[in-house]
Amino acid sequence: MKLKAIVLAMMTLSALTLAGCGSDGEKGATGATGATGADGSNGQDGTDGRDYTAANEWFMAGQDAVTKASGNSISDSAGKAKNIILFVGDGMGISTLTAARIYQGQQQGKSGEENRLSFETFPYSGLVKTYSANQQTPDSAPTMTAIVTGVKTKDGIISVSDAAVRDQCSTSTGHEVMTALELAEIAGMSTGIISTARLTHATPAATYAHSVERNWEADSDMPQAALDAGCKDIASQLIDFPYGDGPEVAMGGGRTYFMPNTETDPEYGRAGRRNDGRDLTTEWTSKYSDGAYVWNRAQFMSVDTNSVKHLLGLFENSHMQYEADRVNGDGAGEPSLAEMTSRALDMLKQNDSGYFLMVEGGRIDHAHHAGNAARALEDTVALSDAVRVAIEKADKDTLILVTADHSHVFTIAGYPVRGNPILGLVRGVDASGAAATTYSTDSNGMPYTTLGYANGPGFGFGSAAVNTDSNRPDLNLYAVTDVDYRQEATVPLGSETHAGEDVAVYAKGPGAQLVTGSVEQNMLFHVMNYAANLVGRAEAAQN
Amino acid sequence: MKILPMLLLLCPALVSATEFCPDARPTDAWGVSYQLSGDKQGTLLLLRQQAQTAFYNPQNQIAEWWRFDNPKHPQFSRVFGEAKRRIDYYAGDLRTLGVRVSQAEIESFTSEHLRQVLTKVPQSSCTTAEAYEGEYQQVHYQLLWSTTLGLPLVLETEVGGKVSRWQAQQLLTNDTVKQQLQQWQRYQRTDFADVGDNDQDPFLAKMINQGFVEHSEHAAYDSHGHPLGNHGH
Ligand SMILES: [Zn+2]
Repeated sequence: MKLKAIVLAMMTLSALTLAGCGSDGEKGATGATGATGADGSNGQDGTDGRDYTAANEWFMAGQDAVTKASGNSISDSAGKAKNIILFVGDGMGISTLTAARIYQGQQQGKSGEENRLSFETFPYSGLVKTYSANQQTPDSAPTMTAIVTGVKTKDGIISVSDAAVRDQCSTSTGHEVMTALELAEIAGMSTGIISTARLTHATPAATYAHSVERNWEADSDMPQAALDAGCKDIASQLIDFPYGDGPEVAMGGGRTYFMPNTETDPEYGRAGRRNDGRDLTTEWTSKYSDGAYVWNRAQFMSVDTNSVKHLLGLFENSHMQYEADRVNGDGAGEPSLAEMTSRALDMLKQNDSGYFLMVEGGRIDHAHHAGNAARALEDTVALSDAVRVAIEKADKDTLILVTADHSHVFTIAGYPVRGNPILGLVRGVDASGAAATTYSTDSNGMPYTTLGYANGPGFGFGSAAVNTDSNRPDLNLYAVTDVDYRQEATVPLGSETHAGEDVAVYAKGPGAQLVTGSVEQNMLFHVMNYAANLVGRAEAAQN
Repeated sequence: MKILPMLLLLCPALVSATEFCPDARPTDAWGVSYQLSGDKQGTLLLLRQQAQTAFYNPQNQIAEWWRFDNPKHPQFSRVFGEAKRRIDYYAGDLRTLGVRVSQAEIESFTSEHLRQVLTKVPQSSCTTAEAYEGEYQQVHYQLLWSTTLGLPLVLETEVGGKVSRWQAQQLLTNDTVKQQLQQWQRYQRTDFADVGDNDQDPFLAKMINQGFVEHSEHAAYDSHGHPLGNHGH
């Protein structure tokens, strides 16, 4: 009885809201009585006898979403997913998603808030706890390890359990943990690794390498003791990959970690970082007779995905360009994350045994560390575009997960009016609820941006114009919506830090229903394993 | 502004006094040592090898090192000699920091633009140099510009009565410059983009806490570790 009363109260409230906002006039004639609802609420019209549900778009859209969701009574059996695509936005916290969604919507000329990133349409989602085995706020090494191995570990450690000690080679032996990508290779599936960061960076590395130190990307980064004790650098582990027939696709940045110090980079003219004399790019093409190596966009576009079965693409010396700088800022030309995803799927789909593909938007994190929101949002939108490609290209038997490794201390603050430029100064609403004519101000009468950071390099702005009363710069003097603008920070640090709150996970495809509620990050591996039966398929392939 | 040349005629010695007056630009690697006098004191070395330019403060062993081998891809490093460490900045990193890179400004010791905004005045002490003087953004400048080196021989600034004077002292040899650049090449490198993920590294942690990201455009350091350069933005 109590429940009914609450429902009734909600209805009344809706009716009142409708009357108050006068949308009847805007929407034209009163609509016909709506279709009978599943919950039998039809007929509870407003006091004027109209069916208010026909006139209020919020109400109808919400009802629509519930109707669709009520059809979700799936309980897919284990192993129903043939393929898995895992998208990771490095540092893509929930505030980043909200801001990027608005940013993309506003780029399309809309007010923005109503926009949805491609994966925000997925039927299932959940919250993910990101702490590592030894830190409340983690880095990418333990978080990606959790996602792809099912095991939480300590900060700085890549796909080795927390029995190991960071930077101590001898402690890794016997504690390496199997990754989803390795299982997929053993199972005879095709695999791919794509990132806009270096391929040797923590997130992509966790899929194919095992290291007690994320910074051991080339042998020259390693202490002699670690080399003597037999630990291998991360780049060499991609080439020496021992399972199945090796990854089919590996694309991203980090060329210099694959090149000997006797060779100079084709784009930068700088020497490679390998002291061991190995040229891993030529090793790739000699190891895989059907393999190819490309390092610029033109070469990438001309790859014949029917004949090339193992593709290595290294498009930058270090990390790839930010999406905001990619087209005009790069000398040799780089593919977008969406283009890499598209090409990778063309190749991986050819295997009847299925595939596992990991795609990382790797530079969202870096732009945040620099306190530069615009570039973080551009790269988030680029990840959304890559997911859209996957939605279009992947068959129905594919589980698609979209998540982040960790968040950033990035906030969306104040009470900006609907449609206020997301990178702009806060302009609120006046007493009547309409857009205010002036910017909102702080206690000192100074304007502020909607987006900001709790710490980082944006504090104080160095020698630039500073209001001595408030110690905040007068943002009226800054082009705050410029892509190069660095948002303000509360605590001065040379680099903005990660944040410890939950991130989101979105899922679509067989097994997606497992992604719901609040989960530990390492649970995501088990979702993928259940959905695609990775362990079972790997074991079967070995017999 | 118009009266400045007249003022200069009254005291021409200020800008033109230099014993260092090179009549040719050395080839390959070379450099110039500058002495800072007046309100601030110190030494600064400008090192040059082809498309590389570095500003090096020998007192604190900190350098700013630019490479323009590919002008579309300017590369920048902060060098910390004591720690034998280097932070490398790629073009995108510089943009996130709001640094707009001008090769001409960096290679001319920030003076390329000054020559356009200041007034050319006569001088007699160096036949391969031109003198300039004037006010720019509340700073009074006197500049003696070497046409052979494409660098200032004297750069004097006056702000609120405080005078600072950079004076070129001598050329640095090919070997000195090459050895220095080669040494920096061997230092342990960290990409700027990766600094934030490495707060367990004691050197980087210190840098993160100190906020080593300067907010000036290409800043040469004075003896106090403060950036030299007069471009607010
Ligand atoms: Zn990070």
